[in-house]
Amino acid sequence: MVMAPTLLLFAFFVWEPLLASIRLSFYSAKGMRVIEFVGFKNYIDVLHHPDFLPAIRNTFSYTIWSLVIGFLVPIVLAIIINEMVHAKSFFRVGTYFPNIVPGLATVLMWGFIFRPGKTGVLNIILGQLGIEPMVWLSNPKLTIPLIVVTMTWKAAGATALIYLASLQGINPELYEAAIIDGAGIWDRIKHVTIPGLRNLARTLLILQVISVFQILYEPLVMTNGGPNNASISIMQLVFKYAFEKFDYPKAAAVSVIISIFLIILTAVYNKFSKVQDI
Amino acid sequence: MSLLSKLQNKDNGIITRSDLKRPQVRILYYALFTICLIITIISIAPPLWVLLSSFKDIKEFTIEPTILPKEYDLNRFIKTWNDLKFFKFYVNSFYSVAGSVVCAIVFNGLLAFALSIIKPKGSKFIYALVLGSLMVPATTSIVPLFININKLGLSGTFYPLWFSIGANAFYVVLYKQFFDTLPKSIIEAARIDGCNNLQIFTRIVMPLSKPITMVVAMYAVNYAWSDFLLPYLVLNNSGLETVMVRLFQFRNGKTADVDILRAIVFAIIPPIILFTAFQKQITQSNTHSGVKG
Repeated sequence: MVMAPTLLLFAFFVWEPLLASIRLSFYSAKGMRVIEFVGFKNYIDVLHHPDFLPAIRNTFSYTIWSLVIGFLVPIVLAIIINEMVHAKSFFRVGTYFPNIVPGLATVLMWGFIFRPGKTGVLNIILGQLGIEPMVWLSNPKLTIPLIVVTMTWKAAGATALIYLASLQGINPELYEAAIIDGAGIWDRIKHVTIPGLRNLARTLLILQVISVFQILYEPLVMTNGGPNNASISIMQLVFKYAFEKFDYPKAAAVSVIISIFLIILTAVYNKFSKVQDI
Repeated sequence: MSLLSKLQNKDNGIITRSDLKRPQVRILYYALFTICLIITIISIAPPLWVLLSSFKDIKEFTIEPTILPKEYDLNRFIKTWNDLKFFKFYVNSFYSVAGSVVCAIVFNGLLAFALSIIKPKGSKFIYALVLGSLMVPATTSIVPLFININKLGLSGTFYPLWFSIGANAFYVVLYKQFFDTLPKSIIEAARIDGCNNLQIFTRIVMPLSKPITMVVAMYAVNYAWSDFLLPYLVLNNSGLETVMVRLFQFRNGKTADVDILRAIVFAIIPPIILFTAFQKQITQSNTHSGVKG
């Protein structure tokens, strides 16, 4: 009986909306009132909308950039911090610090840094070095990588702490044995450190993909999906359909598409990593 | 000298004391130290820049941009605070955070208590459902959730924000893992003494679980203070906007840049105070939990 209230909350906030999302995606609606079953019509409309393809492409682009920029940074950072004897806790606290800055404040702040013209912080700094001001976020080629840089700035230190804990769990005797076998520093990293982190890295990789795939407020606030749809994300489509056009069934259809993508991705990934284990 | 002598104590990790006798390794060590220092500076510099820039006036910020402000005048902060009526949003945010923390502890704690200690029929299945919701993207259910909240007439109130955090799978997992380590004999003894389940929870289990409650509370404070999407959908134009919702509205409105900068400072200060006070617990809890919150 003690768990009844919480289960009720889970049902209301998590489970029921999930099922309702699937159901809603097959219906037409007027505002919040469901009208009639329309089969796959919402899905077809959503897929044919000119925003859909860019949103999908960008979302994959976000994911890939976040793996290129964001995935290795915490691992390398953790390995370096772990080797430090000077100022170790200063580095640990300092790099964790961005994590306490609220996400919205983070993106607003970096918006000022990447501002075009001579008032942007990055341009002021470059100006000191004699480099002309550039456009940053409104350059379609740079928009997604720069948003990913912002996300990495916020999250890398906190993730590095998780890797640090894992590094401290590596048995020191393994290093001693490697040294006795004549392994140099690089060999020790390759044969002791990296295998020691592999399982954790795998878990964090899939969590990172799941969360980046749902990226919403970073592009919403920093670029509003622009310039010319260059940074619009798939979750932003949900936001647009639901809270700008008030077309709830189409928003639900896009939500279901995101979930299907992620479920397939997770399944493929699990299969792949199991094969690797053998 | 002390810099070098400290290196003599290095007895863990990849590089060892004997490696450091070689000059190349020592150069490598200081190169890595420099990299670490640069990354730490990059971590701290942007908020510091915001803080410094928020002392500037509009002219100094946009027309002749400078790195450091010419004067440090706190009156500008007070003026922005009053102009943007920030006090109200602070109160709203504190109210929202307080309720969220209570709900996060009570509801997730109760469910974890049931799953870990009472273990009624079907609790394994329920735990699987809870774990499953960690894997399914939460944002995909935002539309029906928004509709439900509206239908129940709960938009423009804090209830959805308070109670939604009471259904947090991550906190349930944290609590359950901790409860699993509590000695069974104490609970048995309490039961023999005639305690019912609720009394065991409030008088035995929760007092023994202060460390994990601290962790959950800190996560919940940070989450509730920073959360934006659900508060925005529930509280937009209700007069109960939280600091984050207001920050988003400023960005869409005609607020001057320097005022936005000061608003960012206002939004960051409470988490910084919390972080400074509980810095050790926060960095350690993050290390021990092993999963990102």
